[in-house]
Amino acid sequence: MASLMQTDATIKKNYLTALKEAIAEEMDRNQHMICMGEDIGLLGGAFGVTDGLQEKFGTERVIDMPISEACIVGAACGMALNGKTVMVEMQFIDFISCGFDQIVNMTATYHYRTAGEVAVPMVIRGPAGAYGGGALYHSQMNEAWFCNSPGLKVVCPSTPRDAKGLMIAALRDPNPVIFYEIKELYRKREIEEELESGDEAIVPLGKASISRAGEDVTLVSYGQTVWQCLEAAENLSKEGYSAEVIDIRTLVPLDQETIINSLKRTNRLVVVNEAPMTCGFAGEIMARISQEAFEYLDAPPMRVTRMDTPVPWVKPLELHVLPSADKITEAALRVCKF
Amino acid sequence: MATTTERQPSEKSRPRDLLSPQDYQEMLAQLYLARYFDVRLIKEKKRGRLRGTLYSSHNQEAVIVGSLFGLRSDDWISPIHRDMPAFFLKDARAGWRNKERIGMSIDEVCGQVWGRATSPGRARDNWSHIGSTRAKIIHSTSMLAGTIPAAAGVVYADRLNGGNSVVLTFNGEGSTAQGVFHEAINFAAVHKLPVITIIENNHWAYGTPTELEYSLPDFARRADGYGIPGLIADGQDVLDVYDKVMTAVEHARAGHGPSIVECKTFRAYGHGDHDDDRAAKYRPAKEVDEGRRRDPIAIMKANMVKAGLMTKADAKKYAAENKGASEVHDTDFPEDVVAYLTEGVTSALKAPVPSAEEGAMWVFREDA
Repeated sequence: MASLMQTDATIKKNYLTALKEAIAEEMDRNQHMICMGEDIGLLGGAFGVTDGLQEKFGTERVIDMPISEACIVGAACGMALNGKTVMVEMQFIDFISCGFDQIVNMTATYHYRTAGEVAVPMVIRGPAGAYGGGALYHSQMNEAWFCNSPGLKVVCPSTPRDAKGLMIAALRDPNPVIFYEIKELYRKREIEEELESGDEAIVPLGKASISRAGEDVTLVSYGQTVWQCLEAAENLSKEGYSAEVIDIRTLVPLDQETIINSLKRTNRLVVVNEAPMTCGFAGEIMARISQEAFEYLDAPPMRVTRMDTPVPWVKPLELHVLPSADKITEAALRVCKF
Repeated sequence: MATTTERQPSEKSRPRDLLSPQDYQEMLAQLYLARYFDVRLIKEKKRGRLRGTLYSSHNQEAVIVGSLFGLRSDDWISPIHRDMPAFFLKDARAGWRNKERIGMSIDEVCGQVWGRATSPGRARDNWSHIGSTRAKIIHSTSMLAGTIPAAAGVVYADRLNGGNSVVLTFNGEGSTAQGVFHEAINFAAVHKLPVITIIENNHWAYGTPTELEYSLPDFARRADGYGIPGLIADGQDVLDVYDKVMTAVEHARAGHGPSIVECKTFRAYGHGDHDDDRAAKYRPAKEVDEGRRRDPIAIMKANMVKAGLMTKADAKKYAAENKGASEVHDTDFPEDVVAYLTEGVTSALKAPVPSAEEGAMWVFREDA
């Protein structure tokens, strides 16, 4: 169990371990923090993010819940009324729809409808994203639903350091946060990195990061497609274009400034999200940039998203509807050559 | 397996036996107060002084008063739209005007009804959608049964904090078909949480009768499926409601977990005041007449006469019972009841309306 809490900064760790450390460190720091979810205790979570947590913190603080997403979220609200901070695990982020009313009507509005009396410190987190053959109900990126529900913060990290730092920040935030973990990145060896602990590890909500600096075009994304943007940037450099890649990390609140500052130099924009196109977050970024920074654009912005379809099961179909480095490269070239 | 009826408290030793004559007087006074609040608001609404929909609790007062009467100050409640009097009746035994009591003042409740800045939620959501962590009242939304999970969470956390409060949730029988109703009671049963689910069974879920909502002769039998007690109360008899709810409260307080208490009552008017005319058509007149005949104020008076706590002559005073809102007058109510509510109305009418800019405030807590 000691290994849960000890962080050796000289060892490279994966995205899943980063999340696990963040949750365990916060449970240790904050005696009023509770974890709730399906199979999170005895089993340690379907993917193992909460592995060892119940053994260390007990069954009262790490609760194996019945399969009742709405009840889990609603009960977490009630705990907040009595001073608790709650981490809620959705076994797959797809299942969040079963708790939708409790999230958007009960939780998200609580602070608003009580004129600031009640705050609900809650992090609803879960494995998200496609490319793994998870099919329709184990592949979703449904973040747009929640970005359109005032009162929720929405986070989606793409690296282990951001996963840990944003999770700590989210667990210390007095507002409800929907936290998208990219399950395809959970154990990806190539992205492992050294991790800090506690305050040093914190990555504040609402701050974008520049994953790669460039001069000719700005590629904006979050989550899994950040890595596709980086691959596309490599492709583009071979074509003689230098691409800047911005990882927004937090969707709500959005760090618009970092994007606009980049566009002042590159004057060209491609936005990528893994979710479907219509009313997706890429469209929101394009709308804001069109309104706030039109004068910096030398070409119409483009977006690369999933087609407006569910995520199909078998590989050729799945890849057909989803974004890819090639699709991003192609879009960026069109913008660069406009 | 124990049946629902076997779980009813015995006639020999009932929670009411521990009540004093003063408690009986207070219960009757609270019934008057709940009734007066309703008829006064119906009149204010007809004068055009109120915004929104009024969900009358007329004829259902015994459920509210009887349920709340035996609670401790530190217990929690979760009322819904037809329970407006519950907000100021919580902990009212500590004194209606006692500012320290763990409930809402009449000024706060009237501030809410009139949409003023003195409302606990600064009138951001309407009517019954208020609450307060200080008063230990859970804030409801329009999604019925939606606060039962929160109620379970409140007492789970309270237990962790070393408390042993219970929570009463109020629900119409219509909301029992919702998924969260099942999810939350199941969770509470698994963890033996002190969650008492009051069913205000008034036979009509807006425009739909009970036989189209569930297929049990007595809803309380649903409790058997969760392995918890299901009690049935005569919702027109405040003492019977008190007995059954206190039996459930004592069971919960002793660590034995949740109960369902079905209070059989009848909705006097439409679902909301917008529905009164239509309700007169979709509900059979005979059923409405029979349902309204058993007035909780009249039943309590009869019980008090029978117990020697009131003379027949005194029972004739303040004849608010068996009268519709348009037939009853201020003189039909005790003077202190009229005075208390008038203070609330006066205070609300003097209070400011929140400024328009508040509409964009408090989306997030900023002290992150």
